[in-house]
Amino acid sequence: MGRVDGIVIEPRPNQPVHVTALLIGPSALGDRLHPALGRVVRRIEKRFGLDRDRPARVAFADVDEIGAKIRLRLTISETAVAAVEQRLRSWLVRLPGSR
Amino acid sequence: MKKLFNLALGVITSIGGFVEVGSISTSVQAGAEFGFSLLWAIAAATLFLAALAEMAGRVAAVSKRSIAAAVRERFGFNFQVIPLGAEVVIDTLLLTAELGGAAIAVKMLTGIGFQWWILPLGIVAWLVLWLGNFTVIEDGVGLLGIVTLSFVVAAWRLHSDVGPIARGFVPSVPHHDLTRYAFLVVSIVGATVSPYLLNFYASGAIEEKWTEQDLWINRLTAWCGMGFGSTVAMGCLVTAAIVFGPQHVKVDTYEQAAQMFVPVYGRWAIVLFALSLGIGCFGAAVEIALNAGYVLGQAFGWTWGIDKARRDASRFVAAFSLVLLLAVAIATTGFDPLRVTLISVALTVVVMPLVVLPFLVLMNEEEYVGKHTSGPLGNGLLAALTVLGALMAIVVIPLEIFGG
Repeated sequence: MGRVDGIVIEPRPNQPVHVTALLIGPSALGDRLHPALGRVVRRIEKRFGLDRDRPARVAFADVDEIGAKIRLRLTISETAVAAVEQRLRSWLVRLPGSR
Repeated sequence: MKKLFNLALGVITSIGGFVEVGSISTSVQAGAEFGFSLLWAIAAATLFLAALAEMAGRVAAVSKRSIAAAVRERFGFNFQVIPLGAEVVIDTLLLTAELGGAAIAVKMLTGIGFQWWILPLGIVAWLVLWLGNFTVIEDGVGLLGIVTLSFVVAAWRLHSDVGPIARGFVPSVPHHDLTRYAFLVVSIVGATVSPYLLNFYASGAIEEKWTEQDLWINRLTAWCGMGFGSTVAMGCLVTAAIVFGPQHVKVDTYEQAAQMFVPVYGRWAIVLFALSLGIGCFGAAVEIALNAGYVLGQAFGWTWGIDKARRDASRFVAAFSLVLLLAVAIATTGFDPLRVTLISVALTVVVMPLVVLPFLVLMNEEEYVGKHTSGPLGNGLLAALTVLGALMAIVVIPLEIFGG
């Protein structure tokens, strides 16, 4: 499905911080390097109309299992993770010899 | 039996995969200017490359992770972005240089200017990637690459004494042009220990679904393949040393380099040199473009693989297509392929410590290599390469300016 590009944490009074969601998408990754880079990525996504629900936000309650791989109680189509892949695919399948 | 056949094929294809624009140009220059005395640099660089490739293959076979994926997972994206960015830049520049090398080879055969061949070669490379699969690409590149053995045959037929050649394997300090000598040492290392070779090798291990049972194949392929591959670079150096050495010429163009085949192959000299250069460079171009797709896909967590249906890995396909397009664009704007080669080689040396250091950690963690962690020898080699790499990274820029 992809890699976890960021996490959302919530501070709670007198308790350890709480992970509420996982973020998947280049804009989350960009934010981690520098907020300006995150903004650039967001602008590019917007230009191509791919900014809806992105970066994909997976609520921590939907995380099934954490190991070398993180298993979710969601399928990829329930998120916006594959938006870029789908857009590119719609172009690629038009090329001759595509499989 | 099938395993043995695959092993032999793997070793043979490594020969073809090894020879490309960087190894040919640095070997020719080293031989022409310093005789046999830089053979040790090729041997040492090959030792490091083979050791790193074996380790990358081990991580891939045991953990089913490519190096780029393992580095992101273990060190985080904020570390990875530097070697990743450098690798994509190096891949693009090297790809530009390989296309240039292949185009010059076609020019030697046809007499039509090399700028005209960049775009057609780029299109053919893309078609190979678009229509081919891993076996076709790896074995095709490798088997055609056997023509590069003409460098070894040339060295053999020139009947040089064994004594002076053997002495070339002992590091020595030259009597003249020390900076130029040091520059060539660093260039040979940079041209040999390319990050693309390592990542391509490890990605291939995953494409071919190696497991822990295949570790012996990995060891043999890495050591024998890279070892045999380096004999081509050595043959190239020895031939250049014997033919150009006495005249102390500095070889600045590939047309000039082609002359080294004349004493051995006569009227076939230019054709054989052009075929060796062209096939070596074109094969490398295909592999480098593919590697750019691999490394980006692995780092960002896309579906990747040249055996996957193109529509299931569309970001991966788009990535290698874009890098190829970029390289074609740079190449057609007019440039000196030798110059671009030197820049990418220098950049390789600059980032080498950042490429090698993660290995030192990964190779000692059970999560990545199971019970096959590195022993003192492997760790010692990696530590040595990290220190050497850091030293070379410091000196490479001044050497580029004063020795290039």
